[in-house]
Amino acid sequence: MKLKIGKWLDNSGPENDVVLSTRIRFARNLKNIPFEIKASQADQISVLEMVGYALEDLDLLKTGKLLNSQDLTLLYTQYLLERHLVSPDFAGSKLRHALYVDDDETLSMMVNEEDHIRYQVIASGLDFAGSLNRIVEFDDKLESELDFAYSADLGFLTACPTNVGTGMRASVLIHLPGLVLTKEIEKVLRGVIQIGLAVRGLYGEGTETKGNFFQVSNQQSLGRSETEIIEILDKAVRQVIQYERKAREYLGQNVKLEIEDKVYRAEAILKSARIITSEETMNFLGILRLGVIMAMIAEVDLKTINELMIITKPANLQIFYNQEMEPNERDEKRASLIRNRLLNREKPNG
Amino acid sequence: MKVCDICQKNESSITITRVDKDGKSTEMHLCSKCALEKGIGEAGKVKLSVLEILAELKDKIKDEDRRLVCPKCGIAFADFKRLGRLGCENCYNAFSERLLPLIKRIHGSSKHIGRRPTDGDKDAKIKLEAKRLRDELKYAIAAEDYEKAARIRDEIKKTEKEPSG
Repeated sequence: MKLKIGKWLDNSGPENDVVLSTRIRFARNLKNIPFEIKASQADQISVLEMVGYALEDLDLLKTGKLLNSQDLTLLYTQYLLERHLVSPDFAGSKLRHALYVDDDETLSMMVNEEDHIRYQVIASGLDFAGSLNRIVEFDDKLESELDFAYSADLGFLTACPTNVGTGMRASVLIHLPGLVLTKEIEKVLRGVIQIGLAVRGLYGEGTETKGNFFQVSNQQSLGRSETEIIEILDKAVRQVIQYERKAREYLGQNVKLEIEDKVYRAEAILKSARIITSEETMNFLGILRLGVIMAMIAEVDLKTINELMIITKPANLQIFYNQEMEPNERDEKRASLIRNRLLNREKPNG
Repeated sequence: MKVCDICQKNESSITITRVDKDGKSTEMHLCSKCALEKGIGEAGKVKLSVLEILAELKDKIKDEDRRLVCPKCGIAFADFKRLGRLGCENCYNAFSERLLPLIKRIHGSSKHIGRRPTDGDKDAKIKLEAKRLRDELKYAIAAEDYEKAARIRDEIKKTEKEPSG
């Protein structure tokens, strides 16, 4: 089942020249049911049923769908992972799990991951306040139907004590080619780490940073309110945005020719390659994105680039073309999809 | 100039001195890239990331950790150290003496401030049971097994009478 392309990729959000998306997730566990490592089959089924009934009672199945183990094949789970709708943990887990995803793919909930439920809101650009409002609204609804494991001292109780308290992780996906090219990136990210935030690759813990995309998130979830946590993050991210814009300005003023060369080479490869890997794609799309923002390229919009970043991933490509493909076939199809999109020869439809 | 102890490639720019309990100190030389990846701050200040704090636990499993067991779910504190996961909500009580210092180290706090659930049980488990019974009733009627249907109806009546706290 093909999903539409997530609304968070439409590049409509604030500060979208640097920040691709904002994400907030809450982790919750149901009272009196053991956590993941001790949950029996029956416990897992209870969680699935209780959450399913809650969604039904709340009328949330009218604005979204609940995908169960049968829907979640290996390929399809990979597809959801590439779309940031499930975690690598969820994809690799043997639990009886499910995923709720709303119609515009901006609110989703994993059932039976490390915690019984983890829901997230994802928005275009930098929008912590809007995302928090939305997830709080969803949290209120679920909480009216379900009893969560909670203690007055430690807050919401999670399988791993790193998430206890608010159970919240807020993050941004941020594009920092300017800081990478001016070699300022380490200094800036070190500053971010020093104030207690975490910097990771594109898909979270332990993943590589490709195409100069980074994820910045809170590490601590206890001792500060949800609002305080996002305020700290928002402030830090805004600072990084300023540094990145300054770096881009510097590049434009001092080494414009070199940047143009990089951008036009990336554009040429993307528009003419016949075989291209997923990694190359990410790297060149990253440079192309910089070129669009620095007004070197006019005929491509950021939305197209954002979408290409997702639909050219291995599982997305196979589901897009509705066929299983070997890596070499994928490299060929990927190249042709990118050419068609960038040369406007094909109507986008996710 | 020394080479980074981790990548063995780049020139090191940060020196970290760790002093253990016996006063023995070991020095580590890192390049800024590796230091950054390890979450280590500027100029010798050691700041372990949350992941590293958890990784550190794995290396120090003692006998007493195996003896400390959560009475509700049965996992030992040693299991938590190994897996980084607790077995149930009661583990937080059962292991509180050992967990609280760790929680404080991770979060810099051990007191929750923020959202809290509304008071009162939502009886999700009881509701689930009732829904299951109603489904069974539907099947029994569809299968024209009226004896079974009557039994289920009695059970439903019983659950409805039970006080729900």
